[in-house]
Amino acid sequence: MKKFFLLPLAFAAFGFASCSDEPLNAECDIESVTLGVDTPEEVFYHAYDATQSVPSTADSIGFLIRHYVNVESIPVNLTVTPGATVYVVGADGTESLFKNGSSLDFSDEQIQRLRVVSQDGAWSRSYKLNVVHDVPSEGDMTLDFETYDLDASGKYYIWTVTDPNAVNGLFGSGDPTWKNGNPGFKLSKSSAKPMDYPSVPLVGEGPDGSACVKLETMDTGAFGQMVNMRMAAGSMFVGEFDVANALKDALKATRFGLPFKHKPVKLSAWLKYEPGTKAFQDRMGKPVEGIADEPDAYLVVYRNQDAAGNRVMLDGNDVLTNPHIVGIARLPHHYVNPEATYPRDGGGDLESNDPIHGITSEWQQYVLDVNYYEELDPEILVNNGYSMVIGFACSWQGAYFRGSIGSKLYIDNVNVICEY
Amino acid sequence: MNLTKYILAAAFSFSAVVANAQEDSWAEWGPTNTSTNAGFIVRAGYTIGGTMPLPIPAEIRSINEFSPKGGATVGLDCYKMFSKRWGISAGWHFFYEGFHTSANVKNYKMSITMDGNTMGGYFTGCDVTNTDAWGMTIPVLATFRLSPRWNVSLGPYFTTYFKSSFEGEVYDNPDGVGYLRVDTPTGEKINMDRNNPATYDFKEHMRPWAGGIELAFDWKAMKHLNVFGSVDWGLSDAIEPDFDAVAFKMYPIYATFGVAYRY
Repeated sequence: MKKFFLLPLAFAAFGFASCSDEPLNAECDIESVTLGVDTPEEVFYHAYDATQSVPSTADSIGFLIRHYVNVESIPVNLTVTPGATVYVVGADGTESLFKNGSSLDFSDEQIQRLRVVSQDGAWSRSYKLNVVHDVPSEGDMTLDFETYDLDASGKYYIWTVTDPNAVNGLFGSGDPTWKNGNPGFKLSKSSAKPMDYPSVPLVGEGPDGSACVKLETMDTGAFGQMVNMRMAAGSMFVGEFDVANALKDALKATRFGLPFKHKPVKLSAWLKYEPGTKAFQDRMGKPVEGIADEPDAYLVVYRNQDAAGNRVMLDGNDVLTNPHIVGIARLPHHYVNPEATYPRDGGGDLESNDPIHGITSEWQQYVLDVNYYEELDPEILVNNGYSMVIGFACSWQGAYFRGSIGSKLYIDNVNVICEY
Repeated sequence: MNLTKYILAAAFSFSAVVANAQEDSWAEWGPTNTSTNAGFIVRAGYTIGGTMPLPIPAEIRSINEFSPKGGATVGLDCYKMFSKRWGISAGWHFFYEGFHTSANVKNYKMSITMDGNTMGGYFTGCDVTNTDAWGMTIPVLATFRLSPRWNVSLGPYFTTYFKSSFEGEVYDNPDGVGYLRVDTPTGEKINMDRNNPATYDFKEHMRPWAGGIELAFDWKAMKHLNVFGSVDWGLSDAIEPDFDAVAFKMYPIYATFGVAYRY
């Protein structure tokens, strides 16, 4: 009869069998690449340019080198997902095992192909790796938003710049595209069609009858609510959008500016604006009385390296206020300090019911002067030591998830005028 | 894991006490009504347990916290003995039960659809879950008298939930690692951390019923007073089968310890 006493024991043993062996890693990313050159400052513009961290979405990794430098074989060090194996793919498709420190031939900007296979062997990713020579450029540029296409997933639009001064002088030939929050919106609204995104092209609706861009502040639905990000303001900017950290820290995920070797003095753009008809709302989605939404447009020039030689890249927290900023142009706004003209001396943006941005619902060209706090150092300028930001948003506090759903900013024919 | 300890401890104490059972008279501790050999038992108990995938999948690497919230059961059983040892019982038990758990997961496949939008892929990090359930259980058990004072009962039960919730958060594990790979392990990597966790609430996708096996031990401490322990082992998925946010079947497994008055 004693066997009955063992019943509860048997039940317990059945259920609580210990955890099984850890599954092997399924991921196969290159997380960072370092090119092992002896004097990085002579090959690249900054010592830190010899190492690049690679976003999870990237499959093409380009290193910008000075236009007069010739490189051949360079030892390469990769950080990959633990347990993953890397192969170099030859021109004929044959693969050979890559080991950290192996030299790859980068002469004549030739592209090296790598394939990374996950620890569990079930997944692999292919990457392209090359060096790209910097191409000298003039300063002035026209950005007309005429060249756009769907992204690789076919979900949203991407705008490519075509003006050679913009491609070579600012955006870079490796990825000459405007950045915006569309990749983040895709996460929250998988069912959205390309024209349902916050940043979209409008064919034939520009002031000259060509295509323009429409930015709209949109509701992010149930998923946005899950992560306390209830809206997505349409945006267009020069820099990087780090979608990996868009949920973790949205302000940090928008990284502004790219190196520029000229002195911009004016930003001009054709704009029109329609404020959202829904009440201005805060991050929790609650309406805020007595606040009108406002659009934003700015150009910022900043020193991209600190005194210790570290990279400085502005993000959503400080794109208008970082002490490394040397010049700024922005649409007029109210600041906490009533005397302020620019955010740097403004003590913060002041939301109000009487905006002074001046953008109307009719197309009009606006010209903003760049106000410099200090003269640019020509030696630093020629060595890519300053970065330039151009940014547009349909809700000026959209980075903080504040604004009116439905606010719309239309943009076309943006020009940057440089003194030299 | 705390629950394992509870159940093992309960099992050991039962075995030990049973082994020491006295040679009491079968009649003295039999049904109080000797003409019908039937009666009622009113029960009240403390309920602990959890809703969990079984066996625990390899994607769940470790369980950081498992704390049953502590529930309660009250119920009425009718029984009838057909012979010295064999009988049957059926009852109505009303209960509240809940638990809180925090687990580290690796490449945990998940997918959530809300308002026609789907987000899914492979999550690595920490998953915190809280459940609560109010409901009624009907057990139909065969009873066997192990000794004059010890009964064991085993049989199916059926539960309907008046209200049940299954909600939680995902964020980084204690090593600071928390991310979703969208769709596949090579998809976009979306980092998450505890400062801005993603929350979920699956209460609309909980099955309104459950079924399983109940095992109960009763010890007749006094003429009318029983001490009992029981386990309700769920054999049905707690979550609707067409809801794919949770890739594993989740089984409710709860134990109740308490006292009963025997009429």
